[in-house]
Amino acid sequence: MLKKPDLAHILVVFGCLAVACCQWLVYVYAPSEVRMGFVQKIFYIHLPLAWWALTSFLVVFLGSIFYILKRAPGVDNLCAAAAETGVLLSGLALVTGILWARKSWGVWWTWDPRLTTTLVMWFAYSGYLVLRGLDMPGRRRNLVCAVVGIVAFLDVPLVFVSARIWRSVHPAVFAAKDGGLEPEMKLTVIACVLAFGLFWVGLLLLRKRQLDLRDRVEALKNMA
Amino acid sequence: MLRLTLAVARKDLLLTLARGNGLVQALLLGFLLFFVFSLSQGIGEHTSPQGAATIFWLSSTFCHVLIFSQLYALEEVNNARLGLLLLPAPIQAVWLGKSIAGFSLLLMAQAVFLPVAIVFLGQNLSGALLPALLILLLVDTGLCALGSLLGALQGQGARESLMSIVLFPLLVPLLLAGISVGSQAFGTLSPDGPGMWLKLACAFDAVFLAAGLLLFGFLYAGDE
Repeated sequence: MLKKPDLAHILVVFGCLAVACCQWLVYVYAPSEVRMGFVQKIFYIHLPLAWWALTSFLVVFLGSIFYILKRAPGVDNLCAAAAETGVLLSGLALVTGILWARKSWGVWWTWDPRLTTTLVMWFAYSGYLVLRGLDMPGRRRNLVCAVVGIVAFLDVPLVFVSARIWRSVHPAVFAAKDGGLEPEMKLTVIACVLAFGLFWVGLLLLRKRQLDLRDRVEALKNMA
Repeated sequence: MLRLTLAVARKDLLLTLARGNGLVQALLLGFLLFFVFSLSQGIGEHTSPQGAATIFWLSSTFCHVLIFSQLYALEEVNNARLGLLLLPAPIQAVWLGKSIAGFSLLLMAQAVFLPVAIVFLGQNLSGALLPALLILLLVDTGLCALGSLLGALQGQGARESLMSIVLFPLLVPLLLAGISVGSQAFGTLSPDGPGMWLKLACAFDAVFLAAGLLLFGFLYAGDE
């Protein structure tokens, strides 16, 4: 007998469909950028990846505070799922960013605040995931990870400012004047961000449910 | 609380310095880094001021990881951590005491590293020294606040390598500040001067001193 689909599955399916529909906007509706040409289309993938990765890390931060205050195991699994999703999305954002940088600025890597912040977050949350795999009592590990989850996010604005002082070449995406995007491009990028958002929520809930089930199986194994 | 904080710091300094190998391991690692990086210079060449400042802070950071691993390992023998937890003071006294001890040991190591940088990397202190001294103290404060917080992971099954993975990305803003002002002390001319970096280092210290005070109690416990 087939199980009824839950919210996570529905969101993932609708998210995939929405992302697929966005491809029409990206390749047909949005005009090509004069200087960069076709490669500029990377931007419509890169921006949602980066924004939702940062949102994932914000979820880890808020969830970690909540865990420290309430010690709810479900929240810890939400943090774990958000960290995994964040590392995956920020990794992809870095790859797309590097491809963009090569075409746009002529270098594979540059000390841009946003790229640097994404890389540092990727390092910090990869370390966080390694920490989650440590062999230590469950509740203790959850508490240690919650502390690291808070500390890692506190660093974000400092990393951003320090990289900005160091040097910056990133384009102004939603600049009010002097540059920014054409209206069609703006609409396309907003649609891509929303579509990725739908997919992101579904992925997050699906992974959290997997981790909850894993905990239940572990508990049953320990009881047997 | 201050009296007991100083007692913890004094105990750690005595145990570290009075023993045969005390700071030797951390110093040797720093020396080795200077020596290995000096091999990158061709005959008659000198490392650039920025390169020298980077090597100085890299050596200091590795040294700092070893120092805090060592400081927290002191109580892991014979389960002596319980003794510290029974201290008639808030648990933050342990964090602050170890921060002070680590700060003193790091300054001692850096007092050795500075002449080593001058000799091995062919530098001279031709820039402004007061901002360099200020940034040294501010960066060391931030390093020790965060090092003392995450050093507590040492007793939770984590090793030095893991501490480095979690710690290094978080230290990026401080290291950039130290490198930038350090290179100015070694003679690099900067139109912006050290002002912004000093402010950034102050902000970092404020954030992580507060985080250490609030979060240390959750990391350093005897409930496993």
